[in-house]
Amino acid sequence: MTERKLGEVILAVNKISLAFGAMKVLNEITFDVRRGEIRSIIGPNGAGKSSMLNVINGFYHPQEGTITFQGEERKEMEVHKAAASGIARTFQNIALFKGMSTLDNIMTGRNQKMKCNIFQQAIYWGKAQKEELANRLKVEDIIDFLEIQNIRKTPVGRLPYGFQKRVELGRALAAEPEILLLDEPMAGMNVEEKEDMSRFILDINDEFGTTIILIEHDMGVVMDLSDRVVVLDYGKQLADGKPEEVRNNQAVIDAYLGVPHE
Amino acid sequence: MKIERDVLFIIMVSLLLMVIIPWTAGQLSEEIFFEWPFFFEVAIGGLLSGVMYSLVALGFVLIFKASGVFNFAQGAMVLFAALTLVGIHDMGVPMWLAIILALFIMVLLAIAIEKLVLRHLVNQEQIILFMATIGIAYFLDGFGQTIWGSEVKILDLGIPNEPGFYFDGKILINDFDLVAALIASVLVIALALFFQYTRIGRALRAVADDHQAALSVGIPLQHIWTIVWAVAGMVGLVAGIMWGSKLGVQFSLALIALKALPVLILGGFTSVPGAIIGGLLIGAGEKLAEVFLAPMIGGGIEDWFAYMLALAFLAFRPQGLFGEKIIERV
Repeated sequence: MTERKLGEVILAVNKISLAFGAMKVLNEITFDVRRGEIRSIIGPNGAGKSSMLNVINGFYHPQEGTITFQGEERKEMEVHKAAASGIARTFQNIALFKGMSTLDNIMTGRNQKMKCNIFQQAIYWGKAQKEELANRLKVEDIIDFLEIQNIRKTPVGRLPYGFQKRVELGRALAAEPEILLLDEPMAGMNVEEKEDMSRFILDINDEFGTTIILIEHDMGVVMDLSDRVVVLDYGKQLADGKPEEVRNNQAVIDAYLGVPHE
Repeated sequence: MKIERDVLFIIMVSLLLMVIIPWTAGQLSEEIFFEWPFFFEVAIGGLLSGVMYSLVALGFVLIFKASGVFNFAQGAMVLFAALTLVGIHDMGVPMWLAIILALFIMVLLAIAIEKLVLRHLVNQEQIILFMATIGIAYFLDGFGQTIWGSEVKILDLGIPNEPGFYFDGKILINDFDLVAALIASVLVIALALFFQYTRIGRALRAVADDHQAALSVGIPLQHIWTIVWAVAGMVGLVAGIMWGSKLGVQFSLALIALKALPVLILGGFTSVPGAIIGGLLIGAGEKLAEVFLAPMIGGGIEDWFAYMLALAFLAFRPQGLFGEKIIERV
């Protein structure tokens, strides 16, 4: 990958520790994410990758450490505020609104962008209607971008897995986030679907300049896409650096990749 | 809204059966009096009381949509709203002001329920939320009657409660039922549109589907719950006013909620239009059955006919007419 220009640090986690009772899930994790970067978090199952994302978007509140987002240092994020300040995410086990159509699912992603109050909406006239239509246009753009025009009206519960992952990505994109957290966006996909998804991730990063934090198990994908990679194992931080540095790190090879590369 | 073809088919068949069965019964049995004007009178009376069932069912649907919880307290809310209204009115407040005050109190109640009960149960199992609503139900039953007294009260809105004759005097319809049906229809249509086409409506459906995902896109769960309980409280008030002026404001209002159950099973727990169609089918169905079928088997089937219908219906369409199809990937 050619040398890319990265912006200033947009998110930094500093010595984050998280425990559930006696079980330490994260242990003094420290890394930063720069604007416009694709930052991957890798590690074996149970390494604490998803927990890390949950800390970043406020589902979990760490016992120790700080999170600095857009220059503001805090002990923990609040889910609602994280969404409002530009953090969107997808989930490892797809968390879509299964009974709702693709369109409605993605429209919920615009929730933060819509400001009309309940009374204006109750009347659904003038401002509320205009707002709805304007946001609908944005959503149609996303639907085009992700090439899911033909499933626009289908309840997402009926869609095949690969498409559900795509709709979930669409919903996160609809919020026009500063940072996009992707939790295993390619799990369970075949090669072709993975290629599509990789392309979408690169395009999102490229065209919209969205910063991406990615959790992924497919090493080929991670090495290809990422600017920098942080490696976790049993809640500890093993390594942090460019893909090739991480690939050659002995601790990582021992703990995770298992087989030394030639 | 797009209506599925089999839904339309089921409705058509039901309507057809509602005509054919009474007619056949009339031909077969000496005891059953069948004439077309009389048939329509019964059917219309049934439809009108069906609208009143819909009104109660609507309260359930709203809360079920937003939290996936069957709100056991809906009947108690109807009673509480009606008691509050009559109580305020009895203190000498004019009716219009009493209605506004009662609405206001129902909103306060919603805020209190969210703050004191629901907020602490985010992401809990639905059975736990259900248990919470049982607690709320009994609290409201008792609290309302403690404050306002438990004797039967009269609620008079000044709507004429006399039979009117229509179609050259051939068909007799209660004017009060007509007014009630009209009010209920307007309310129901407004709510259906609101939840289908606005952001809050969508947010509400999203919350119902998946709490965590809703939080992650920035939908404020607590806010939505408050809105929904407030709206359900208002619907409860309207239902309380209608049923209360028909039956008197008393404890049995809380039991009317049970009549909404077969309506919900028929219409689907998640659908506002479903609550309407379900209410109409049940209302007309049970009246027709009572008048044209019951004499053949000794009478008195009105009270359980609806439940039997719902039970049969469950067997071949468990999600109800308009309910979201239950899809489980394995």
